Amino acid sequence: MSVIEAREMGIAPSPRTFAITHQRPPKSFTGCSRITDYEVLGKLGEGTFGEVHRARSKKTGALVALKKIIMHNEKDGFPITALREIKLLKLLSHRNVLQLEDMAVEHPPRATTDKRKRPIMYMVTPYMDHDLSGLLDNPSVHFTEPQIKCYMLQLLEGLRYLHANHILHRDMKAANLLISNKGILQIADFGLARHYEGEVPKPGRGGSEPKREYTSLVVTRWYRPPELLMHLKKYTTAIDMWGVGCVFGEMLVGKPILAGESDVNQLEIIFDLCGTPTDENMPGWQNLPGAEALKPRPRPGNLQQRFREHGPQAISLLHMLLKLDWKTRVNAHDALTHPYFRLAPYPAQSSDLPTFEESHEFDRRKFQDRRNNLPLPPAPKGGTVGRGAFDNTGLNAGFNNAEGYNARNGANGGRYPRNRALPPVDERVPAWHRDRGLPPRPPPPIDHANGWDAASDHTESYRDRDRAPRSRGGGVARPDVDTYIPAYDREARRDDRRRPPRDDWEDRRHAPRDDWDRRRGVGVDYDDRSRASRTRSRSRSPIRDREHNRDRDRDVYRR
Amino acid sequence: MSHMTNPLATPDQLYQRRSFSALPTDLQDAIFFSTQCLTQAAGVLLQLPQAVAAQANVVLARYWLVEPFMSHEFSAVSAASLYLVAKLGPTPRSPRDVSNVYAYLLSASSSFFRSSSTTPPPANNPSSYYLSDGAYQRSHSRILELEARILYALGFNTHVSLPHPLAITYLQALDFLGTRKERIAGRALEYLNTALLSPQMLYLTSQPNALAVAAIYNAAKDVGAKMPECEWWEVFDVDREELGFLVVGMRSVEGWARKMREDIPRMAECMLTRRIVENEMERRGLHTGNGHGVSSAYTLDPEAELARKMDEKIAQIEEND
Repeated sequence: MSVIEAREMGIAPSPRTFAITHQRPPKSFTGCSRITDYEVLGKLGEGTFGEVHRARSKKTGALVALKKIIMHNEKDGFPITALREIKLLKLLSHRNVLQLEDMAVEHPPRATTDKRKRPIMYMVTPYMDHDLSGLLDNPSVHFTEPQIKCYMLQLLEGLRYLHANHILHRDMKAANLLISNKGILQIADFGLARHYEGEVPKPGRGGSEPKREYTSLVVTRWYRPPELLMHLKKYTTAIDMWGVGCVFGEMLVGKPILAGESDVNQLEIIFDLCGTPTDENMPGWQNLPGAEALKPRPRPGNLQQRFREHGPQAISLLHMLLKLDWKTRVNAHDALTHPYFRLAPYPAQSSDLPTFEESHEFDRRKFQDRRNNLPLPPAPKGGTVGRGAFDNTGLNAGFNNAEGYNARNGANGGRYPRNRALPPVDERVPAWHRDRGLPPRPPPPIDHANGWDAASDHTESYRDRDRAPRSRGGGVARPDVDTYIPAYDREARRDDRRRPPRDDWEDRRHAPRDDWDRRRGVGVDYDDRSRASRTRSRSRSPIRDREHNRDRDRDVYRR
Repeated sequence: MSHMTNPLATPDQLYQRRSFSALPTDLQDAIFFSTQCLTQAAGVLLQLPQAVAAQANVVLARYWLVEPFMSHEFSAVSAASLYLVAKLGPTPRSPRDVSNVYAYLLSASSSFFRSSSTTPPPANNPSSYYLSDGAYQRSHSRILELEARILYALGFNTHVSLPHPLAITYLQALDFLGTRKERIAGRALEYLNTALLSPQMLYLTSQPNALAVAAIYNAAKDVGAKMPECEWWEVFDVDREELGFLVVGMRSVEGWARKMREDIPRMAECMLTRRIVENEMERRGLHTGNGHGVSSAYTLDPEAELARKMDEKIAQIEEND
């Protein structure tokens, strides 16, 4: 007897029927929504790569964010990174993890006979009012201690869930933490996330079990843990916990606490904060490949002094999160039980938190003027993100349409960082790739043989050898294009995969500029820089670059 | 996380597909079965793990649950789903490899689908499966177009949870029912793989745990293992009714396939194409009311054979256009 029949006949359903009626509907073959199911309300962000729109669902009335995935006529079909991210997101369900609600498709109007017009896919996620980085940049926002505790608890809950489900986020940073005006924090951007093997973290036992090697080219530099900077490959969930520590510190002081200008500098400032590594505080550090040339000047670390105004409990938690030794760095379980959260002032309830003006890119410009004068520390965002299997230029090309984004990073990353007030977050791109003066880099590998990534060692070693696909700044400069997309922009960093080769070409083509750039003093003002970048952008043809890139991909493919 | 479960077909979807299709159900089933076989064969030639081929089978079944059979060439849908699933996993295959393998399998040189007992193996004639640049380009764009279609149709639900590992785990829990491990486990996996081909679309109607239990049940019967006296399947969250349905469903595939080959002799000769199906429909249209007596009505006289060859040629030309 079917449930409906039972109901019609007025019979109390058996427990089994009851269970069936109340089970979650099997998400099944309903296909994708149409873009017409959403009423588009306006852009949240824009780059030539595509857009993030705010929209209202006509079915539910809920506000959503639509993130465009542009489909190019690509030889490998739907971008694999997007596919994997979608697959992963569909498997996750937690209140502190951004949910992928739907996929929406927009068909090109039938009238156009242009065969190259492809349907456009949108990822539909709930609309969140802020990202943490934008919120911290908002001069009118000051976090209270209960508020910080509340966000930290949610962040740790979300991370505990991810880690318990064998997922490494690998790009923990303030810009990837979205916050709603209801006080809910959600972890977003799974463009770099991957499944990890081995035991999950257990209370009191630190990170997950190091089972196999992954690419060490992950995590935005400012949030990258020392073991990754020294190229540990058998890393664990502890890398995300370091990021949590950085975010925690950032919330306490209102700006990124470890804003390194290069990988070397990043390690230096980490040692400034946490002390130099010794066999006691970081066992095995000398065996790490990146530690060979390292001869840090011994110093004790000034974490205590830097954060003394925030109280001993905060310092204690920070100490545990920012522990040099990744094996004993605290895990999410244990961090959640830290006394910091159990002592007054108690964590706020999400519902009690104040609401703020939306912190998105367009709004964000409002703050720029106010902040332009502030001489803040250089603010590159090390999008030096290794992509593992995601470093698949060819495969992702569809996802990218990279020019705009890179442009952005170029314009901002290269030059703006001296002044944090300029388009924040995603623009914090280090100029280090230039500083290093590397020879032209090889194209990033197409690791076709890779599972999530790093499954094949050859690509890994290949990449590591060349240290290639790490850079992110300095692309086609397009100051006319708005460049900040709050953490909805998974594509943003995907674009990086295209970056390395482009960097080099650029470096070669614009060698003089490059030098100029390097010599340029801190005092250069915004106008100078943007003019410079504008000039540069004119001299480049994005289209040609893409072709170029594709050819390179093919070469890689043949290998 | 829904790692262990699959999205299932709703009764409505099954009913609609079954009842409102332009095709008679036996043809639907034949298309489903032969295309799934083709996917498996391609998986072998592409050296893909069975897990990948099996997931491609399930993705293909999901696609056909919502999309009509006749809108695209069957082999192309098979190629696209295999390509898509391989791309998602640790063993991606290039469109070139996929196209080559399908070109071979569909060529006259491949022994695939030809019953070995009746006909001698075909001569290997490389020119019959040579893929010209133009043909490759067409195949390539067809795969990509269908890949996108599959993704839309599935709402990007590409995750497939297979019952195979569960079956092994369950068998371990049951101590392999006191038999030799390889024997019973192997048999159970055979049942699971056969179930992929079943036009009853067992993977869309049951969750992996139920499939695993049914396969174990069948395997235990086959090897004569002694199962627990109690209703042990309940331990694995399977109720008696579902188990019974699946046990019969899995066991019937073999006999059903044999009968179908008799009913539709073309199936034993080559991969079904849309052209063949259309012809078959036409033929049935001519013999109204003769839908069940297919085998008797269809005799292989020389004239019919010639007509068939011409059809194939036409199909081939159209295929290349």
